[in-house]
Amino acid sequence: MSGLTELVDAMRTRGLIAADAPPAPEAADERPWFLALLLGLAGWFAGIFVLVFLGLAFNPQSTGALLAIGFTLSGAAFGMYFADRNAVFLDQLALAFSIAGQIALAWAILKDVDTALPVAATLFALQCAVFVVMPNKVARTIAAFFACIAWAYVVRFALRPGQGEDLFFDSHGDVNLPVFGAWTIPVEWLLTWLPMIVALLWLMRTESRWMASGARVFARPAITGLLLGLALAGIASEPVATLAFGIEAMGMRFSWYALFPLLSIALAMFAAYCAFSLRSYGLLGLSVFAALTHLARFYYLYGTTLLWKSAIMFAVGVVLLAAGVALQKRTAGVAA
Amino acid sequence: MESTLKRGELDALAQAYSLNPAATEAMLDLAGVRPTRAAGLEFISRCLRYGGVLSLAAALVFFVAANWSKFAVFGRFALLEIVLVALVVLALFKPPPRFVGRGALFLAFITTGALLALFGQTYQTGADVYELFLTWALLGLPLAIVGQWGVTSAAWVLVLNTALLLFCGWNPHGGVLWVVFDGNRFTASDAILAAGVLNLLLWFGFEKLSLRAVPDWVRRLILSCAFVFLTWAGVLGVIEDHDFGGEHIVLAIIVPTLAILAVGAYALRQRGDIYPLAVVMSSFVVVVMCWIPQASGSDETTFFMMALWLIGASTVGGRVLTLLMRQWRAERAA
Repeated sequence: MSGLTELVDAMRTRGLIAADAPPAPEAADERPWFLALLLGLAGWFAGIFVLVFLGLAFNPQSTGALLAIGFTLSGAAFGMYFADRNAVFLDQLALAFSIAGQIALAWAILKDVDTALPVAATLFALQCAVFVVMPNKVARTIAAFFACIAWAYVVRFALRPGQGEDLFFDSHGDVNLPVFGAWTIPVEWLLTWLPMIVALLWLMRTESRWMASGARVFARPAITGLLLGLALAGIASEPVATLAFGIEAMGMRFSWYALFPLLSIALAMFAAYCAFSLRSYGLLGLSVFAALTHLARFYYLYGTTLLWKSAIMFAVGVVLLAAGVALQKRTAGVAA
Repeated sequence: MESTLKRGELDALAQAYSLNPAATEAMLDLAGVRPTRAAGLEFISRCLRYGGVLSLAAALVFFVAANWSKFAVFGRFALLEIVLVALVVLALFKPPPRFVGRGALFLAFITTGALLALFGQTYQTGADVYELFLTWALLGLPLAIVGQWGVTSAAWVLVLNTALLLFCGWNPHGGVLWVVFDGNRFTASDAILAAGVLNLLLWFGFEKLSLRAVPDWVRRLILSCAFVFLTWAGVLGVIEDHDFGGEHIVLAIIVPTLAILAVGAYALRQRGDIYPLAVVMSSFVVVVMCWIPQASGSDETTFFMMALWLIGASTVGGRVLTLLMRQWRAERAA
């Protein structure tokens, strides 16, 4: 089925809709992934420029002034999104105002906070609020994605208080392991990613239940945001990790924690499979890109030598090839 | 025929006809937007095989980078050369488009680079210089052609562009080629323009040839690389960076402008893919955004103007491209 009109005709024939049902509604204003990415980036940079302009023009110092700017810009963004629901002319302006408003609000709330957990938790709550309040698909998708990144930080700083914001490894190259002792990092990994995986699978599984209802305005952006989060959030948290690890983190002594970036590759490939199931080739491409970036991360960071990493990749390669060939034979058998 | 329907369109349809869950389920089946079990297994199998080949390639690169001291230099070279010969022989017995042949030639392409990196590492000529990547691109070209695989072609494009990037930016006026070209008649901005034009010519060539080895996504990659260089040159032109551009700075504005016009005209004539138009639009938006501080005299209104430009240009551009996409899609359907 390649077009909406053919689909509607087929639905009439199957009795899914009445024979005299009106023709297919005009196609929704769907954008290809690269255009959505381009517009999102433009909106983001415009938001930052708006905020810099306001900062230079009014020089707001107090929390009250920052809150006023944040609420005004966010309110204006909400108003534009609400007024422009069936058009797209104000979308970019609203996105820029929304981004600038969020940064101003976060700045106002967090400017005197100097520990990482409250910062991550506030940003997570802010993104959740934007997701619920802003009546726009792009704004909700971006909020869902940033909420995933913030969630990764919340779990990290909650389970490794005081250490997550400093060092992942101690001065001897051993991993710092508070709260759950030696199980902290596996628990952290599960707590970070399992809720996202479960939420994504549930939303995809129940797709037919919410597609026709009002819930779709939340569910569809949540799916895209979760997919992006699973694929990319590990990388997004990387700048802080790199700064914290420093150069000394390269070539650490071997431990099984060296395998964790490979789990990030597995997450990205899971996201790729979900994108394939949704027939979203843009998200599929982004997931593959994320997997390759995780591979580069494995090369540069985490505790083992390149020789061990080479041996690990060789073993992984052989296992994947064998499994792939076996599955291909089985698939061919099923098809025959 | 694979469905081209998007989830957003199906959401709108389900809402417009107030479908219940069972009817929505039936609509999704009719639309063919959910992969069958066999298609899902085929996708997983393909991911596993591609992942296996990429993992083996990574293992090879990591091994060379590890610089294992217990392995003599001769042994390291011999090992890589044996691997290279074995892969080529394997590809001869199971030639592309079979997966074994494609995978073997991709690994042979990576091994060529690893061999050159080992040379650079051993004889201290450097493992990250443009000469290495340029040699790799030239030596690996036959493998990329014979491989008939988008993945190998994309790897070749990335290697070539890494060489060009290193030549233009990382170490301008350094290395062997700059000894030949350096002087008043050839500046760094000329090199950037040349890199952009080379990519652009490759893109036009592959658009005309429609080779199986260079699928749509690789052509898009080449075009993106072209406009990374052309946008870079355009930015140097509008900010009048004479350190980079010398006396040829005006060329840095004219050539990207001509490239934007040429690609735009070609895409509008083809009426197929809006990606080229999106690329030229973003290049134009970035160049003008960088020109605004020059034009406005760098006061606080600069940021306001830049924000206004980004919002206005992206709104109009996004709207026009969306309308064009819908129009072209309707024309194809008719």
